[in-house]
Amino acid sequence: MKQFNHPAHPIARRWFLQQCGIGAGAIAVQQMLQESGYAAPAETAALQDPLAPRQPHHAPKAKNIIFLFMGGGPSHLELFDHKPVLGKFDGKLPPEELLKGYRAAFIDPNSQFLGPKFKFSKHGECGAELSELLPHLAEVVDEIAIIKSMKTDAFNHAPAQIQALTGSQLFGKPSLGAWTIYGLGSESKNLPGFVVFSSGNKGPSGGSSCWGSGFLPTVHQGVMFRGGQEPVLYLQNPPGVSGQLQRDSLDTLKALNQNHLEQIGDPEIATRINSFEMAYRMQSSAPDVMDITQETKQTLELYGAEPGKTSFANNCLLARRLVERGVRCIQLFHESWDQHGGLVSGLKSNCQATDQASAALLKDLKQRGLLEDTLVVWGGEFGRTPMVQGGNDGRDHHPNAFTMWLAGGGIKGGTTIGRSDDFGFNVIEDEVPVYDLHATILHLLGLDPERLSFRFQGLDQRLIGVNHAKVVEKILA
Amino acid sequence: MMVVRTYSFLSLCAISFFAILFQSALAETEKPKQNEFDFATDIRPLLSDGCFSCHGPDEQHREADLRLDLKETAFGSHDGHALIVPGKPLESLLYLKMIASDESDRMPPADSGKKLTPSEIEKIRNWIEAGAPWSSHWAFQAPEKAALPQVKQPQSVQNPIDAFVLEKLEQRELSFAERADRITLLRRLNLDLIGLPPRVQEVDQFLNDKHPDAYQKQVERLLASPHYGERWGRIWLDAARYADSNGYEKDAPREVWLYRDWVIDAFNQNMPYDQFVIEQIAGDLLPNATQDQQIATGFMRNSMLNEEGGIDPEEFRMAAMFDRMDTIGKSILGLTLQCGQCHTHKYDPLTQENYYQIFACINNSYEASIRGYTDEEQQQRQKLLLEIKTIEQTLKARQPDWSAQLAAWEQTVQHNQPEWTVLKLINTDSNSQRYFEQPDRSMLAQGYAPSKFTSNFETTVDAADLKAIKVELLNHPNLPAGGPGRSIEGLCALTDIKITAESVKDPKQTTSVKFSEATADFSNERQELPPKYGDQKGVRGFTGPVAYAIDGDNTTAWGIDVGPGRFNQPREAVFRAEKPFGYPEGTKLKISLVQMHGGWNSDDNQTMNLGRFRISCSTSENAKADPVPDAVRQILQIPAANRTAQQQEQVFSYWRTTVPEWNPENAQIEALWQQHPRGATQLVYQERPAPRETHLLDRGDFLKQKQVVQPGVPDFLNSLPQETAVDRLTFARWLVDRKSPTTARAIVNRVWQAYFGRGIVSTSEDLGSQGEAPSHRKLLDWMSVWFMDQGWDLKKLHTLIVSSRTYQQSSKVSPELYALDPYNRLFARGPRYRVDAELVRDIALQAGGLLNPEVGGPSVYPPAPAFLFEKPASYGPKTWEVANENDRFRRAIYTFRFRSVPYPVLQAFDAPNGDISTVKRTRSNTPLQALATLNETLFMECANGLAETALAEKELSDEQRIVTAFRRCVSRPPSATEKQLLTRFLTKQRGYFADHLEEARQISVTKKTTETSTADFAAWVALSRVLLNMDETITKE
Repeated sequence: MKQFNHPAHPIARRWFLQQCGIGAGAIAVQQMLQESGYAAPAETAALQDPLAPRQPHHAPKAKNIIFLFMGGGPSHLELFDHKPVLGKFDGKLPPEELLKGYRAAFIDPNSQFLGPKFKFSKHGECGAELSELLPHLAEVVDEIAIIKSMKTDAFNHAPAQIQALTGSQLFGKPSLGAWTIYGLGSESKNLPGFVVFSSGNKGPSGGSSCWGSGFLPTVHQGVMFRGGQEPVLYLQNPPGVSGQLQRDSLDTLKALNQNHLEQIGDPEIATRINSFEMAYRMQSSAPDVMDITQETKQTLELYGAEPGKTSFANNCLLARRLVERGVRCIQLFHESWDQHGGLVSGLKSNCQATDQASAALLKDLKQRGLLEDTLVVWGGEFGRTPMVQGGNDGRDHHPNAFTMWLAGGGIKGGTTIGRSDDFGFNVIEDEVPVYDLHATILHLLGLDPERLSFRFQGLDQRLIGVNHAKVVEKILA
Repeated sequence: MMVVRTYSFLSLCAISFFAILFQSALAETEKPKQNEFDFATDIRPLLSDGCFSCHGPDEQHREADLRLDLKETAFGSHDGHALIVPGKPLESLLYLKMIASDESDRMPPADSGKKLTPSEIEKIRNWIEAGAPWSSHWAFQAPEKAALPQVKQPQSVQNPIDAFVLEKLEQRELSFAERADRITLLRRLNLDLIGLPPRVQEVDQFLNDKHPDAYQKQVERLLASPHYGERWGRIWLDAARYADSNGYEKDAPREVWLYRDWVIDAFNQNMPYDQFVIEQIAGDLLPNATQDQQIATGFMRNSMLNEEGGIDPEEFRMAAMFDRMDTIGKSILGLTLQCGQCHTHKYDPLTQENYYQIFACINNSYEASIRGYTDEEQQQRQKLLLEIKTIEQTLKARQPDWSAQLAAWEQTVQHNQPEWTVLKLINTDSNSQRYFEQPDRSMLAQGYAPSKFTSNFETTVDAADLKAIKVELLNHPNLPAGGPGRSIEGLCALTDIKITAESVKDPKQTTSVKFSEATADFSNERQELPPKYGDQKGVRGFTGPVAYAIDGDNTTAWGIDVGPGRFNQPREAVFRAEKPFGYPEGTKLKISLVQMHGGWNSDDNQTMNLGRFRISCSTSENAKADPVPDAVRQILQIPAANRTAQQQEQVFSYWRTTVPEWNPENAQIEALWQQHPRGATQLVYQERPAPRETHLLDRGDFLKQKQVVQPGVPDFLNSLPQETAVDRLTFARWLVDRKSPTTARAIVNRVWQAYFGRGIVSTSEDLGSQGEAPSHRKLLDWMSVWFMDQGWDLKKLHTLIVSSRTYQQSSKVSPELYALDPYNRLFARGPRYRVDAELVRDIALQAGGLLNPEVGGPSVYPPAPAFLFEKPASYGPKTWEVANENDRFRRAIYTFRFRSVPYPVLQAFDAPNGDISTVKRTRSNTPLQALATLNETLFMECANGLAETALAEKELSDEQRIVTAFRRCVSRPPSATEKQLLTRFLTKQRGYFADHLEEARQISVTKKTTETSTADFAAWVALSRVLLNMDETITKE
């Protein structure tokens, strides 16, 4: 087989056979094919349940990933990357050589430096410096690995987000989540393997392509969830359709489909029967997982979550609930970090909305023993310029250096790697391009970034593209 | 001979039993002979996959200076060892390397990720043993029509397709499956040709038509249906990455449905495929290009467009160019061009230079927008223009000396304009909206279009006694419908103009210029802006006289809306200062153009910004706007005797408006203009006058230009004509040249794919070296040549395919046959698969009797959850006004497609969102699909509709009604078992709803009939819902 080979997991196969009852067609045939050695593996791959859990390439450090995507481009200079020197140069023009070949989105790059707006101090045993905006993260700083040397290629939102999440500035490529599900399958029987939430001011600039499946089979794309009674589209029975009628309808439907399967023999009908049954199960399991009133008061307070609201805090809590139920990949979008102006007030309110919940997520995962299996990633598509935009309260997009953090499965907590220069302008140590981050994430999930590939348009396409991506060893436990 | 019989899967649940059955089936089947291979399809792909990545066309990554994709080098030697010695594998280094016992010596290297299986290596050994016959990649050799194979069962051959298919079947001792029954066949044919199931009476008619031509008549009927264009047009629209929005962050709606309708029309009119391609690539360059031929180039413009703030438009024009290359590769050539963007192709002989040669062929266009009209609108327009012409003729007839009078008038206006000095403007804002200076010093606004803002410019002038400022609003191809504004109609509104004069010598000396008079060649009457330009409370601004531009009032603006048919004309305004302004030692002018008349949502085409404008100053007294249109002024430069009749007409048409005694006729003509259709805008390709240089780009980075590249094509494909300049039209014709080895194969393969669920080459996006080998190469080649011989006639191709025995087989499958050929690559049975996303919806609409069969027109908004189009689900709030009765039930091809927020029902069923060209959809089977068809609003309305139709006829038994409803979904009548299941369900629900009237009322959302009680109706809705959700209903059997 030319593409990444993932033999069906025996447990999944057993599950499939049990669950589908009649729907054994494709599995049985596939079994037969494998035993006879007749058909090429490429033929069987698509015949098995495309979401069945699969063997990773190597022992994984993390089973799940929660990506807290901070859309808009959070200012590394106000949050993580303390630059006292920049403060001294406040109001001065940047050195000419710094700007050579530099393109900015909105500003004339030759604009005055703007000193950091917030105070920093050291926290935890590791002594990592964090901004005063992040008091809660400071409490768990020994759990996280901070990369102050992220670098990307794009300085406009949509292309940079697409790059951050699909590895390419050009649309049409599968997202990190889709690759993950493609590589590992889904553990959850009643919920999608890849779930997406959105909070903040607006949706992500990259739109649904941020969780799209690109050229991978569409079953791998993320499913957008939202708070309330109907977390998944069309989950609720239509008005007038009672639980009993839904069950009766599905029973009759199943009998009709089974009858037809006997006549026609196409195992796809068995899969259809299965899909309807899983849909039925999802109708109860999805609202259940979304019901955060089941949580204790302490837990709600830990996150700052409030039942009935759409908030980043609620979404963080929901992410934990989903992880508990075997959802492999959860992506939270919080798009509100584009501080061209109103830097101070914008960052304050953003951190109020996200700092406590992000830290709570780590604490909560840890106390439940889930953190060791779950990789948590925090970051946006780029950082912000040390140069001012507008009066003295804004920064433009900046791709050359920015900060992200990771925690959980396989991550060495209390680590800080990478350095940017005195202005937070360029990376000067341990540069981590986006594809290295992707390689690291896949590696932790037990996938070899080189081997995780899919044949499309004659090429073995990869999340890391054609880049020689390196796993960021320094942050690994 | 294998027994082809249908087994019940239920009875075969035990896997072991399966296996035994299969073993015995195998024993009966003889394996194909070992030595039969075709180098091109059996061996070359192995070499390509295993070797070419390091030993192929890409020089930069070539290892050991060894190239195995070319015959000369593959049969050469390496370090003194012959690579391939025909007949002697054990003397061939190529083979020896593959079987080397030392892993470090073995090829392909373990760390390359490439691997050849023992059976693949065995194939290579056999091939060398057989003399190592070599040919270039099969798809790069022009297709040839092979002789029809001799088969053992000639009676099964209905047309040449069958001979090729049967040959392969007979090699495996298989034969065709039984013929599909007539109902199944008619439903299959309907879904394939028009994408809608047959109506019940159509099925009956066909069943009763005992004529031998009955089937053929159905084929003709369906190919003549306007829905044929919708079905096959939609398939092309995937390849053309059609969507109704720009994509990227803003993802603003765009008007491109005229292109969508052009595609549907082209299919319905059976435009030859070569012409179809030429018009889409270069229709605008055809001699006397029609409006439709220009609209066809919308194909090139379906690329996404980034309009977020702070972008460099050129960067994203290049992204669009890369997308166009990818699209042309996939959709027309069936080849992967994309690699060439950054480096030489590793497998196909496409160099990076080749890539940019093709790029250069299509790199000289405006990103243009034109206004187009539908056929009806065009007729209306013609009629109007004729009426106007008639009135003008009457005027001329009434005034025989009009010509002399006109000449006299010309004299009076010839030199009546003051001197103007054009100002060189520097934009002093941040890069929110980008301004590009044009050669005439006008500014062209591009990129993000804020909807309420002020743009600021600076300039210096020498004159010290400035008396007037002129603002010219100009057209540009890149503006909507050519501008001059950036609104969706190409209009704009100037809220205010503000100027400060500053002494160059002493910047402290400033004057705020006060204007005392404003004149314009046209201003509309005071009018409130259309609702879409309101603020969030719905308050809208006014446009009107040009004086509004100097009134300091942000709610009023100079408006240029003259009405449909004449929106897109250059306009000018002159603002006279109360007192002369300027400083003797030089004056810096700070000019602010206030543009506050857009709506509140800048992500939703609510801008009213100026698109292209030029600003001049004058020291003349009494400067006023020139009422004579620019176009007329230009004609006046030409001596009357040298003008064309049309030019003279144009001058007359303006001049007559200045003749007072013709006021009544002028008013009459104005009234006629008011009836002019609005038309719609359409993104098109439009050639620029001066060629744009194309450079090879280092790693595809638009900032890293390397050598200039001339238009051209790779030489492994057909060559370009000798004596013609290579422009886009030449390139388009080259694509569909008869000698093109891949063009006909690519489309024929995709047509086949649409019928059988899988192409003869399963990688329909790539027929190149890395694509899958064709399962029936001779068949593909035969059909491709035949298709070209028939004048690239798609309807003939369809007729050929659907008339074949191959197509008409039953799709029932036995476990043995399924095991042998799960994907039906041998075509030993008919195709069976779930229909495309759009058809899932269309089938329900048709079954429910709700389908609105109207063809074409603007995209529509069926029900969708509102939150999807609002923050934080969507980046920006999007307009999605759910359609009323009529448009709600249109076919799904007309559903509005936002790229960033795909319509959920279509997305669930794998419709692509148009980000990139898609020539092969995946086909998933998921719970989200089940949720959609079970619970979504419109599907529920379809269930109501189906209930309504089942109950429409009076005095029928439940059973009869069940049969009707069932047949509306799947065409065939239900079996006894099915009837029993459904009757039992109906009876039970009837009882339930009788006790639960509120639920009955709720489920009967659109109940119309008064004959039936609500409880009874509700039970029928529940039953209909079950029928619409059957696997068979959404499956082509």
